[in-house]
Amino acid sequence: MDKEFKIIGTRQPKLDASERVSGRAKYASDICLPGMLYGKFLTSPYAHAKVTNIDIEKAKAVPGVKAILTHKDMPPYRWHQDMPILTDVARFEGDDIVVVVAVDEDRAQEALDLIKVDYEPLPFVLDAEKAMGPDAPKVHPQGNIIGGKPKLSTRGDIEKGFKEADLIVENKYWTPLLQHVTAEPRVCVAQWRNRKLTVWDSTQHTFEVQEGLAKALEIPMSKVRVICEFMGGGFGDKAYAERYSVLASLVSRKTGRPVKIELSREENFLAATHRYPTIINLKYGVKRDGTLTAIDARIIADLGAYFHFDGVSVSMETIKTVYRCPNIRVEGYNMYTNKPEGGAMRCVGHPMPQFAQEAHMDLIADKLGMDPVDFRIKNYARLEDGDQDRKFPFSSNGMEECIRKGAEAIGWKHRWQKPGSTPGPIKKGLGMAVHTCRHGAMRSPSSGMVKINPDGTVNVLTGTADLGGGQRGTMAMIAAEELGIPLEQVYVTAADTEVTTDTGGTTGSRQTMTGGTGTRLAAADAKRQLLELAAQELKTDKGNLEIREGVIYPLGASKGISFEEALKKAPAAIIGRGIGKLPQGKIIHSFAAHFVEVEVDIRTGTVKVIKLFAAHDVGRAINPVSVENQIQGGATQGIAFGLRENQITDRNTGACVNPDLVNYKLLTIKDVPEILPILVETNDPYGPFGAKGMAEPPYSVPAPAIASAIYNAIGVRFNQLPITNRSVLDGLKGLKA
Amino acid sequence: MGEKEKKPKEKKSRIPLKVSRRDFLKGMGTTAVAATLTAGALPLPEAEATLPAGVKEALIQLTVNGQVHRVKVKSHWTLLEVLRRELGLTGAKRFCDRGSCGACTVIMEDKAIYACSRLAIEADGKKITTIEGLSDGEKLHPIQEAFVEHDGLQCGFCTSGQILSVKAFLDKNPRPSRAEMKEALSGNICRCSAYPKILESAMAASQKG
Repeated sequence: MDKEFKIIGTRQPKLDASERVSGRAKYASDICLPGMLYGKFLTSPYAHAKVTNIDIEKAKAVPGVKAILTHKDMPPYRWHQDMPILTDVARFEGDDIVVVVAVDEDRAQEALDLIKVDYEPLPFVLDAEKAMGPDAPKVHPQGNIIGGKPKLSTRGDIEKGFKEADLIVENKYWTPLLQHVTAEPRVCVAQWRNRKLTVWDSTQHTFEVQEGLAKALEIPMSKVRVICEFMGGGFGDKAYAERYSVLASLVSRKTGRPVKIELSREENFLAATHRYPTIINLKYGVKRDGTLTAIDARIIADLGAYFHFDGVSVSMETIKTVYRCPNIRVEGYNMYTNKPEGGAMRCVGHPMPQFAQEAHMDLIADKLGMDPVDFRIKNYARLEDGDQDRKFPFSSNGMEECIRKGAEAIGWKHRWQKPGSTPGPIKKGLGMAVHTCRHGAMRSPSSGMVKINPDGTVNVLTGTADLGGGQRGTMAMIAAEELGIPLEQVYVTAADTEVTTDTGGTTGSRQTMTGGTGTRLAAADAKRQLLELAAQELKTDKGNLEIREGVIYPLGASKGISFEEALKKAPAAIIGRGIGKLPQGKIIHSFAAHFVEVEVDIRTGTVKVIKLFAAHDVGRAINPVSVENQIQGGATQGIAFGLRENQITDRNTGACVNPDLVNYKLLTIKDVPEILPILVETNDPYGPFGAKGMAEPPYSVPAPAIASAIYNAIGVRFNQLPITNRSVLDGLKGLKA
Repeated sequence: MGEKEKKPKEKKSRIPLKVSRRDFLKGMGTTAVAATLTAGALPLPEAEATLPAGVKEALIQLTVNGQVHRVKVKSHWTLLEVLRRELGLTGAKRFCDRGSCGACTVIMEDKAIYACSRLAIEADGKKITTIEGLSDGEKLHPIQEAFVEHDGLQCGFCTSGQILSVKAFLDKNPRPSRAEMKEALSGNICRCSAYPKILESAMAASQKG
């Protein structure tokens, strides 16, 4: 199969690796322009409070202070749906009240310290279930259930489904508040010059920021240029134009000087977006042979103080898509609370219901006395199932191969034993979980541009922001393969709104599909134009030509001409354009199965992940090194979701108690087990060269697989993340009692 | 950015007293703004006239990547701030800014340190290597080459720190075990979690040298 391709499927270093390892790569936070001003926020110490007075007199006197802005200076519009750019009602601890802009950070801080804000604290609500009550404090006047009522999605007849069931299993699950903790915090440099705004933003989607800032400043999009050459991590937190970028742009226009606003680490914990906590009730009906007959689910998404996006609808998809089930009822609540904002984080709405559903499936398999692997194979949604509501099949489906290969790799058949079989204080366990989601699919917009220069070299111009997933390299490989040229002949310019076209955000694992398809089609368009010229030069039909290693030959001939020679009589450089289309009547999904081995020390409660096999249907691995890196990185974050990360809110004050890297626990190199990627290639008919996106799913699978392995080790089930030493010890106590 | 901008003439850059609706935001409290926005760009550095209470200045000497710099610093500035802002060496990054992530790692007198956790005045007279000093022009150091070859990075924001930790460690212990290497890198967080490939790169570098 690999013989088909010259470049696709080869192991390549990142196209921009030299810049990234040498300190030469300039991230938005590294940018320093002459005369640049620095902005800093004063944020609310209260979870809910009315601002009654802001005294800025002393701060104004600080030399070098250029602007102090409060809610009184803000435009009347709300950002996103319901967020003031600076607020007079703080709705979470960390809500932005004042911004100070000064000639340097010291001066800005000095001025901030001199500002006196009077607050009238208001009652607050932190628990999404309590927030539903009629007497709960209201975060916004319109009530705490966003949209006024829950979302409801049904299929078939659940009453009938439960009647057909031999066993009905109910349980409740909780997942915590998490922060993305991107290494580079939220940061933006805005420069207003010659009636035009140029912005260097650490963003996953420059075009979204362009549109947002054009709206905010009421100027045409053509006057806004947003550039993101390098960025230090996004994971979903940097997908929109946010308050800090709006403010930097407004003040730059006002002062005529470049303005940089970079959030501190603590501000990033409080005021950036988060993986929102969820509370999930599941009730599943199943026949004795393991066939699912009915699913009744309720998901509560605690979106915090402001409504960025409809998280719960994404979460509801997991319940409806991973398994084949004719009778389903899913109810979903998007809730306001006085906690930090919920938003998109790696695999967006899926990891939370994934944990709940997979833990639940593990529980049901146990109650049925079935092997968890057999139970998954019995019920997983097949190729023909796809969207079970609209009856659209999947475009490709490697689920069964993922399960079988993962099981084989870990030795499931001969090593999986009954729970708690290991003697001694360190108990071994094996666990598994599966995953399906729409990430990695084709979306709109999908576009690309490919330019062939007179010397035969090629520029790929793509809207794709390279977050470190090797997206530039992927585009180069796709273009080089399509054009039949060596990789070195291609240069990629990415994520500059002025010279590239929109491929959507580097979100939803989409860029291989959207940027990749656009680039491939653009390369094909450029190639067609090139071959027309070559055909004239070689006095033959263009259908009679092929390109090998950058040389154009008449079919089968040993003598050909270079691109440069073919372009000699070209009226202008070649520009190829590509627009990708959405598939009709089919849905593209990614699939995965993880198998994990853990050791649980019952004296300390420590869970150690020993080994993790991560099998992923990637369609086709364009660059296997990048794919492995994404799987290993995503799975590591997923392990932390299972065992470690938790942004804790003090229930008495609503304040975050761990907004720093000492107390918010990330994994270090010592905590990471051996993670062994298994690449399943299903050659998707819609992806470029058969590829699908794959970067987010690795996050979703480890947590439930680990929970399953812990149960297998010690016979205790956990329905709340993270599973800490404390929860393990408490669970063991419960077992004794 | 390397972008050179002519210093704006004072007259031109001053905020217009008459704020037109087009030039300013609809609905913005214009009086409040006029009151709170002070006049535009004065010749820099304009804030140096007075120092806040308790802040002192000092002239220090740093030898960075073999080059001697004399820098006027404020007493509370960190080494990281001085490297990034005063010397323009932005390879060392600000991630946590509290000595708990390692993205700002530099080598000071043969020891890997967190530049965010040293005051610049503490580094007076010291020899410092930053990531910019590791490569020889376009030619990468063998450790950097190993990171490229083994894809030991994703976003790259922590990479300078990772590489300098490897460098400082290999200088002392050129043939470490995997466990020793993990220990040496345990103070460098990679949020993308490219850890398996970072370890692979670091071990490959140890075999190269």
